[in-house]
Amino acid sequence: MFGRLVRESFVRNPRRKVLVAAALVVGMAVATSTLTIALEVGDRLAREFRSLGANLLVTPQADTLPIEIGGVDYRPVNEGAYLSETDLGKLKTIFWRHNILGFTPFLDVPATIQQSENSDPILAMIVGTWYAQNVSVPDGTSFKTGLSVTHPWWKVQGRWFHDDANECVIGSALAATMPGVTAGKVIYVTSRSPGDSAQGQPGTTQAIALKVVGIVSTDDAEDKALLVPLAIAQKLSGHPGQFRQLFVSALTKPADTFSERDPLKMTPTEYDRWFCSPYISSISFQIKTVLPGTDVRTIRRVADTEGRILSRVGTLLWIVTLAALGAAALAVAATSATTVLERRAEIGVMKALGATNSLIAGIFLAEQLLLAVAGGAIGFVVGAALARSLGASVFGTPASPRLILFPVILGIAAIVAFVGSLIPLRRASHFNPAPILRGE
Amino acid sequence: MFWRLLWKLLRGSSGRLVVAILALVSGAMVISALLNLEFDIERKLTQEFRMLGANLVISPGHDAQINGAAPAALMNESEAFAAIQSLKDPAVVAAAPFLYIVERAGDTPVVVAGTKLEELPELEPAWRIEGQWTPSHENQIPCIVGRNVVRQLHLALGSTLLLSYLGKTTQATLVGIVDAGGAEDNQVFMGLAEVQRLAGLPGQIGLAQLSVRGTAKNISEFAARLAAALPSYEVRPIRQVTEAEGDLLNRIRLLIGSMVVLILALTALCVLATMAALAMERRQDVGLMKALGGSIARIVTLFMAEVGVLGAAGGFVGAILGIELSRWMGQRVFGTAISLRWEIFPLTIALMVAVALAGALPLRLLGKVKPAVIFRGE
Repeated sequence: MFGRLVRESFVRNPRRKVLVAAALVVGMAVATSTLTIALEVGDRLAREFRSLGANLLVTPQADTLPIEIGGVDYRPVNEGAYLSETDLGKLKTIFWRHNILGFTPFLDVPATIQQSENSDPILAMIVGTWYAQNVSVPDGTSFKTGLSVTHPWWKVQGRWFHDDANECVIGSALAATMPGVTAGKVIYVTSRSPGDSAQGQPGTTQAIALKVVGIVSTDDAEDKALLVPLAIAQKLSGHPGQFRQLFVSALTKPADTFSERDPLKMTPTEYDRWFCSPYISSISFQIKTVLPGTDVRTIRRVADTEGRILSRVGTLLWIVTLAALGAAALAVAATSATTVLERRAEIGVMKALGATNSLIAGIFLAEQLLLAVAGGAIGFVVGAALARSLGASVFGTPASPRLILFPVILGIAAIVAFVGSLIPLRRASHFNPAPILRGE
Repeated sequence: MFWRLLWKLLRGSSGRLVVAILALVSGAMVISALLNLEFDIERKLTQEFRMLGANLVISPGHDAQINGAAPAALMNESEAFAAIQSLKDPAVVAAAPFLYIVERAGDTPVVVAGTKLEELPELEPAWRIEGQWTPSHENQIPCIVGRNVVRQLHLALGSTLLLSYLGKTTQATLVGIVDAGGAEDNQVFMGLAEVQRLAGLPGQIGLAQLSVRGTAKNISEFAARLAAALPSYEVRPIRQVTEAEGDLLNRIRLLIGSMVVLILALTALCVLATMAALAMERRQDVGLMKALGGSIARIVTLFMAEVGVLGAAGGFVGAILGIELSRWMGQRVFGTAISLRWEIFPLTIALMVAVALAGALPLRLLGKVKPAVIFRGE
């Protein structure tokens, strides 16, 4: 009897159900898409923030003071400590290896540049680095990294050098002082690697012919330098397989008071939690472990800006999501209330025929529940599609639907439809059938 | 007569009216809160992005000769800063001159940057400092030292740093240790005048760094104006900062914006549905009025006035509540209250009236209502 009453109500007057169902579908679609985006946005934005470049800087621990102005190290090549290139693959073996998006080694060598074999030499900085180098990882795979990942704002006119070719890219300011140097021209780079004075060895002179393939503009000191593949800078400096600085770009979680604590003073459980969270402090600790003898520093400007904005946008988005849920609840509740009020005559007839208040409430709530399940399911599908296109338009890649949200959305839909009809049902229980049936 | 009817109508259907008013008020509240947030978010976020430090550099220009470690070209300090001050732009958060020289601390060469120490905290808010930015004693030369220099030279807060440059020496007191995670960790920061004296370059600076608030477009406009005021120097935005900032800002705005639009649409739809239901309930009244000889135009006007009043009242109350809500949100998210935009007030009310009127549109169909059919209850 109960089931028939509910079924009849759907079959006899589908128009009334359409309004509530539509409100449920739209409300739950918005709730689904905002929840999906809110869950995903932290990761997505953190990835976007990597366009700011590296957030960690690795330097040798036992180093002399770099004479560094505007990003270029003016120390002579025989001074200070170096790091070994062969260990770099180990960066992709740390606990948070997938969060290491890229790293680029740098080696600065002072040298002279000549446009032809016998033209006037110009003193300039040679910056050796990688553009897109394949690094072999100890686990047998390889990883492509370099400036293309860590310094995306460096723009080149022409093309970048190949990491294994005798090619170079000239800084725009340097190019301006050397008229006639354009893409395709060959220049000669000479450096004197200083001899070991203790053993009385004379310094050797290294000269290499490089083909200019592009003009780079960095808006930084590199504009006045010549960028060459790392291997060539190593040859010029007489330090094969070595470099001075490593920039690492890592995906991190915003720092909080916990991540700022000294890991040595943590309890074992706290330490495990810290180690297994992608905080910048734990990632730099893990890098230090695989690259012993290094000093891993957080580039504060980048890391702090990122952390602050990520946590603020995160909070903001959760508030907006709450507002979306509130608005969805409001829409469903308002339409549910409307349908109950609309069916006063029906309630009057049922009461006149002896139906108890609880039976009437049961019938209405069962209807609402059915509607909530159907509307919630459709709303979830629509919302997932909405989140996909929203993710695609904001971040370039669509947000993948989260099935875990499906039961959550169904639950929300049921609760909202329930609560929305409870208040008018309470009113309905006070209805006196007689005036309603008279049409008053 | 018109007003009396309107009053009676408003009082008549109290149950339905409560639902409608609730929908209108909460709808208006959500809409005005989110609009307020959306209008202010760009300003708030550009402020946050100033953590990135300087985003504009004035340098002597490209024709300067490149000569190894010693940048030969210099600029005139007063000329550069007079130009910055003449623009009187409130967007300039901080501006500091820099003169770099390589001095010797004992046997160790170290890069010394002459600057305005008091501008540094504003220019580089992300730097961690141990000690103070500015000195407490007048009679000593203060310096802020990068943490690598401190380690290398075995210094501590309060110790004296003896620096020499081409036979001239200076004694500075270490007042702060800076951790920047960059080249600054290897540098010593001192008052500009002292470095100029040591270098024998009075009134000269190597470059100036500025932190300017605003979107990428604002900043490049400001850079263009500054460049016009300083034709002999080169003014350029630091691309790493401005480009990434502009891109991120756009994405965050787009994200929040699209969610706000979704919620606005949902809220409007909810109010629309409630108002439509309210209107359809009036079929009996319409039948009666029509039977009594009321013209359709008059009847529709009456109902439109009713929902219009409802919309305006709901919008008014909702907008006030919404502005309170956005204040709370601003406090919660950014730590500072969101500045109020008064144009949101009329905008919300107008939006609510429009939505309410749109919800009453089905009433136009009542022109076709035949009183007899309605009275029979069909």
